[in-house]
Amino acid sequence: MNINDMTVLICDDSMFARKKLSMSMSNFGVKAVYEAADGSEAVEKFREFKPDVVFMDIIMPKVTGLEALKQIIAEFPDAKIIMASSVGTQGHLKEALKVGAVDFLQKPIADEDAMKVLENVAKGVL
Amino acid sequence: MFAQFFGGYLFNRKLCTAEDLTQAFEAKKHTRLRLGVLAINAGLMTAEQVEHVNITQQSVDKRFGDLAVELGYVTADDVEKLLAQQPTDYLLLGQTLVNNGALTNAEFEKAINDYKAENQLADDISDNQNEKLHNLIKEFYHFDSAENARICTDYVTLLFKDIIRFIGDDFTPLEASIVNSVNAENIVVQKIKGSYDATLCVCADNAPYIAIAERFAKESFAEVDDFVNATVGEFLNVNDGLFIVNESNENGVELTLTPQEFIKNGSVSFTSTAFRIPVSFPFGTIDFIIANE
Repeated sequence: MNINDMTVLICDDSMFARKKLSMSMSNFGVKAVYEAADGSEAVEKFREFKPDVVFMDIIMPKVTGLEALKQIIAEFPDAKIIMASSVGTQGHLKEALKVGAVDFLQKPIADEDAMKVLENVAKGVL
Repeated sequence: MFAQFFGGYLFNRKLCTAEDLTQAFEAKKHTRLRLGVLAINAGLMTAEQVEHVNITQQSVDKRFGDLAVELGYVTADDVEKLLAQQPTDYLLLGQTLVNNGALTNAEFEKAINDYKAENQLADDISDNQNEKLHNLIKEFYHFDSAENARICTDYVTLLFKDIIRFIGDDFTPLEASIVNSVNAENIVVQKIKGSYDATLCVCADNAPYIAIAERFAKESFAEVDDFVNATVGEFLNVNDGLFIVNESNENGVELTLTPQEFIKNGSVSFTSTAFRIPVSFPFGTIDFIIANE
């Protein structure tokens, strides 16, 4: 898969974090970027758009990122979900990987790290 | 970060004003450290001797070091060692305040000696010395009186590192106070839950609130709106997230965070000791709160 053909879903309750990552994705040339402001919306948007890559925050109101991750993986076991959170503790990391996340990025997310994720998904490494 | 705390020390003792410090932080970017300041800092020359060399230099075309050796204040070896030193940030701040006329050499000499003695700092204080910085912050804010001195010190040390990383280094930490509640035009609240609970806040009136958001987002904002709230909230969230990662990695303490709350023209009350940590920036003062509940 080529990065220019990729669709990305950004799930974060912070409007600032969504905008920043969304701008990075546009600069990388991805095909489409979708946004969700909480875990519940993330599940709905995933069902609707079936994005190639998901960046999922953990601490979100209503439904947390880990709960949304569980729901999406239960329905779509091959989903490429990257946890992108400020709380990158070993405990959160282990739990996310156990449930089916393919990677974990500590906030603030550097552009090169986000790009690497897309490249790895494109190469089929993740 | 020693420069900012040296600035806070000078301000708290009314040795210079907030305006002096704002100007000095801007000017120090272009300031070259003078040999006289290094010699005072190393205890090799007194302020009086430095003044004498400065005055003599006005009538003799000689470098400071050569004259200081000729006058018998230092040896050539001393000069060589001083020149080989890396300039440190807090000395640059002192030098700039002297250059700007906010401090005399004598006031600088007394301030730097008192500061080092009070904070048990050796002559070689420089950046990248975590333990010394940790102790300096604990002393500056009198965290020893807190039940959880270690948590408060770790949190505030990280906070200042993140302020330098994401906002800028042109700030002066002001004296902390203990509060039961805070009120402000804007308050962002985030709670830590887990092995212990804590409440963290950023409080500011509209102008400094917008300004700190502008620095973090690297864009301009006209008024406080949801995006400005989200931006300040994300700064707090990133800092708090890094704190709980450190707590997990270094102290084996497992914690999590709650989503941030945004309060407009309101107040927050605390059930236990809350430290108000005011930080003065050129654009105004921001209060950071840590309450270990």
